[in-house]
Amino acid sequence: MERQNFHRELENLRLTLYKMAALTRQSFEKATQAYLDRDDDLAQVVIDGDREVNRIELEIDRQSLRLLALEQPMARDLRMIVGIMRISNDLERIADQSVNIAERTIFLCQHPPLEPVAAMGHLIDISKKMFNMAISSMREMDAKEAKKIPPLDDYADEYNMQVLKSLIEVMAASSPGFEKRVLKMRRSIQTIIISRCLERIADLSTNIGEHVAFIAEGVNIKHQQKL
Amino acid sequence: MASNVKFAVKKVDFYYGNFKALDQIDMEIAQRQATALIGPSGCGKSTFLRCLNRMNDLIPGTRVEGEILLDGQNIYDSDIDVVNLRRRVGMVFQKPNPFPKTIFENVAYGLRVNGFKNKAALRESVEKSLLKAALWDEVKDRLNNSALGLSGGQQQRLCIARALAVEPDVLLMDEPASALDPIATQKIEDLIHELKNNYTIVIVTHNMQQAARVSDITAFFYMGRVVETGETEALFTRPGLKQTEDYITGRFG
Repeated sequence: MERQNFHRELENLRLTLYKMAALTRQSFEKATQAYLDRDDDLAQVVIDGDREVNRIELEIDRQSLRLLALEQPMARDLRMIVGIMRISNDLERIADQSVNIAERTIFLCQHPPLEPVAAMGHLIDISKKMFNMAISSMREMDAKEAKKIPPLDDYADEYNMQVLKSLIEVMAASSPGFEKRVLKMRRSIQTIIISRCLERIADLSTNIGEHVAFIAEGVNIKHQQKL
Repeated sequence: MASNVKFAVKKVDFYYGNFKALDQIDMEIAQRQATALIGPSGCGKSTFLRCLNRMNDLIPGTRVEGEILLDGQNIYDSDIDVVNLRRRVGMVFQKPNPFPKTIFENVAYGLRVNGFKNKAALRESVEKSLLKAALWDEVKDRLNNSALGLSGGQQQRLCIARALAVEPDVLLMDEPASALDPIATQKIEDLIHELKNNYTIVIVTHNMQQAARVSDITAFFYMGRVVETGETEALFTRPGLKQTEDYITGRFG
């Protein structure tokens, strides 16, 4: 009755997810580093690395469907597989957002820097913190840690709004010459897109926290305030 | 007692000689629902099932303590008519066991034993039972053929029809599909879905997916005790106890 083979395969699936999480973390960290350091080579590394994350996502889908179809998992095992599929989907989207940050960074590197926006630093910090909490709660299957993530999302939203406001002011301020004004607007808009990507990564990290709570406790904590 | 309780089982112990096979079983079985009993071999689930219509009385050296109330009346009271009890609480076994008689006579058997003589009424009742057991269309043209010529799956549905003919309230099923192929199993499972609208069903199964598919309530037995009882969906997605979780996910057993 002991299902050793199945549990070995389930463990392999978990390890594949950890690998995907590690690659996604690298992508995200390099993308923010490239933005902060104005390093277009590093940004290109992020873009080139995305294919591997996509490949692992497909691999996780394949392994998960196989286990669902052939092993008819129950209880925690069932939640684990469903949760892993959801988490891998969110990781893939985080990796995509990192690529998006890297692409905007390459553009920004070609032009002089804008004046610094304080909220951008805060947004990078909070989104990194949320992402790291999501990954560590996932590794430990720690629902308590996972449930600390969603409340942080309000900070990410707030910093994103502050970035937007600051850059609207930058764009509204008059500067001499049409060409210069256009370039300033383009750089501001690219930065606003980066800010939006970071805010999305915070959202997706929140999702991962919710999936971890679902796997560990079987309780759905999604949309709790909204329903 | 809640009005939808068919069986109220109170502190039941069961012994085979000195061996205690059931230990302080407390459980309520809801009427017109399917309750599945799961657990590893030797956990007491079949013993418990047989307590519900006193089939264990037929095994020498056995003893029951505690109470099992059927619609509020203790079935182990001395004034209980056991034959009538077993008419109300029918049973279907692991291996189909039709009598070496015609299909018609198999279903009519219980009715005849109960003094049913009117031929037209008998025929009507046999047809009704075969319809309920989802077998009528397959056998209506050969009611006078031997039941032993039916396939295993048909024989099992015939046994269900035979049990239904005497109009029971409860149907006990002890691994009713374990000797059948997947298609015959599917038919029995579909039948259970139909029957639970009108009957209380208690099913013992080793096949957890089957328990998950057919039952509303599942009870997990282990070493003669009920470890956990709950709604089937909750028990199979989010069991309350680690021991249940370990069993249904195949981490022991």
